[in-house]
Amino acid sequence: MMKALWALTIFLVLLCSFSSSSLACVGKTLEIGTTGTVQQELLANIISELISERTGTTVKVVPFKSSDEAHAALLKADIDMYVEYTGVGQVSILKAQPLADAAELFKAVKQRYNQELNLIWLKPFGFDAAASLGVTLPAEAAPVVRKDTLKKFPALARLINKLGGKIDQQTIALLEKEATAGSPKQVAHGFLKNNRLI
Amino acid sequence: MKKLVPVLLLLVSCAPLRPLVMSDRVISDQQIWQNEVRISGVVRVTRQGRLTILPGTKVVFERIDRDGDGIGDAELRIEGELVARGTREQPILLTSAAADPQPGDWKFLYFDYARKAELEYLISEYAYSGVQVHFCRAQIAFSEFRYNIDGVRFSTANIRLTDSYLHHNRHGIRYEERGGKGGVRHNRISDNQIGIFAVTRGVGRTLFELNDIVDNRPYQVKMGLQQPTALDFPRNWWGDVRGLSAETVFDQRQDRALGRVTGSNPLQQPVAAIRWMKESDR
Repeated sequence: MMKALWALTIFLVLLCSFSSSSLACVGKTLEIGTTGTVQQELLANIISELISERTGTTVKVVPFKSSDEAHAALLKADIDMYVEYTGVGQVSILKAQPLADAAELFKAVKQRYNQELNLIWLKPFGFDAAASLGVTLPAEAAPVVRKDTLKKFPALARLINKLGGKIDQQTIALLEKEATAGSPKQVAHGFLKNNRLI
Repeated sequence: MKKLVPVLLLLVSCAPLRPLVMSDRVISDQQIWQNEVRISGVVRVTRQGRLTILPGTKVVFERIDRDGDGIGDAELRIEGELVARGTREQPILLTSAAADPQPGDWKFLYFDYARKAELEYLISEYAYSGVQVHFCRAQIAFSEFRYNIDGVRFSTANIRLTDSYLHHNRHGIRYEERGGKGGVRHNRISDNQIGIFAVTRGVGRTLFELNDIVDNRPYQVKMGLQQPTALDFPRNWWGDVRGLSAETVFDQRQDRALGRVTGSNPLQQPVAAIRWMKESDR
């Protein structure tokens, strides 16, 4: 009886280890939202290409008209992630007071999104997005991902965080210019290739 | 009565060849497919089922996208037995019904814990995966996988892939070893974006040797995000007498968390794989 139980236990452990989720699951498509600007298209495509190239997982970029729409879709699990700005998150989504310090702001939105919304802010890309948003409030752009997506794909955070701090002010301006003239997907691919990320 | 049998057989053989059409269907008995079969859903051969596909059969998958993910959802899923043996003159063709076919028009031929998986002289094209093999043994020989996202994909499988031609796919071969083992020999893997994509948990139990692995751009071999173990692909022809070029590999040199890819004892000339195929078709 004990032997049979041990055999069953070992079988179940092996089965679980074989079928545990990784990024390279069969047939799962990840969906990334964008909110209608060239910068958004570009950043979504950078994430999409990175995931697709490094894991083989199919990634779909889904357009929205605004941050509010994308945020609502994220909460409903219609999408897995989108790129948000810390200032927008703090003021428009969380309805909180603006914060002048960029690091404090990131810490504040990260904490409240995690605790109240089950959403995770990953590392900011590295450029100050305030100018492009036309606001004075400090704004960093960073991927916001559903917590259950990260649970399903444990390697996803580590992968996307490779983009953290990789895009400075000069780089985003150049990439946006190229994406305006051509294809955001191709520009994203070229950026990742040049940085040896794919 | 006995005299009637040949007459009936003759009549059957002369009957107009209408394609067999099916949407979602479960096959739990023994079936034989021939001529043309059109599929517009999920056809599943259960553990008790056995499907034989005869030489010259054309299996055509309609482009349907039920979940809106941009990938066709028509598929042939085998949990029981599939024996699909074409011949050199009459290969079996799995293809898209679209007038302008594209990779991913249909999902895949999928072996899942299958009892038997035998493919010979089979062409699979315009699928998400030309074939996927999971948690079972599979023998694939003298076959062609082209214009798919993944040509041949397997995970936790004991696979024997020989004498086949994998070309113009996004990934020629995509695999997650995960304790599986097998041999990939005498194949030509060419003109894919990635020749071999070792996604995760490979430790070298699947031996890739004596293949022609050429002109896959940008990478002949690429490691996935979770492949920390070094992998060797010995005794292959890489299209150059100097062997596998570091420029055509994605491994530890790009990401320190990954293992290293090597191609030990590279061949100095092509294996001349797929000699069975007509020169004009190579």
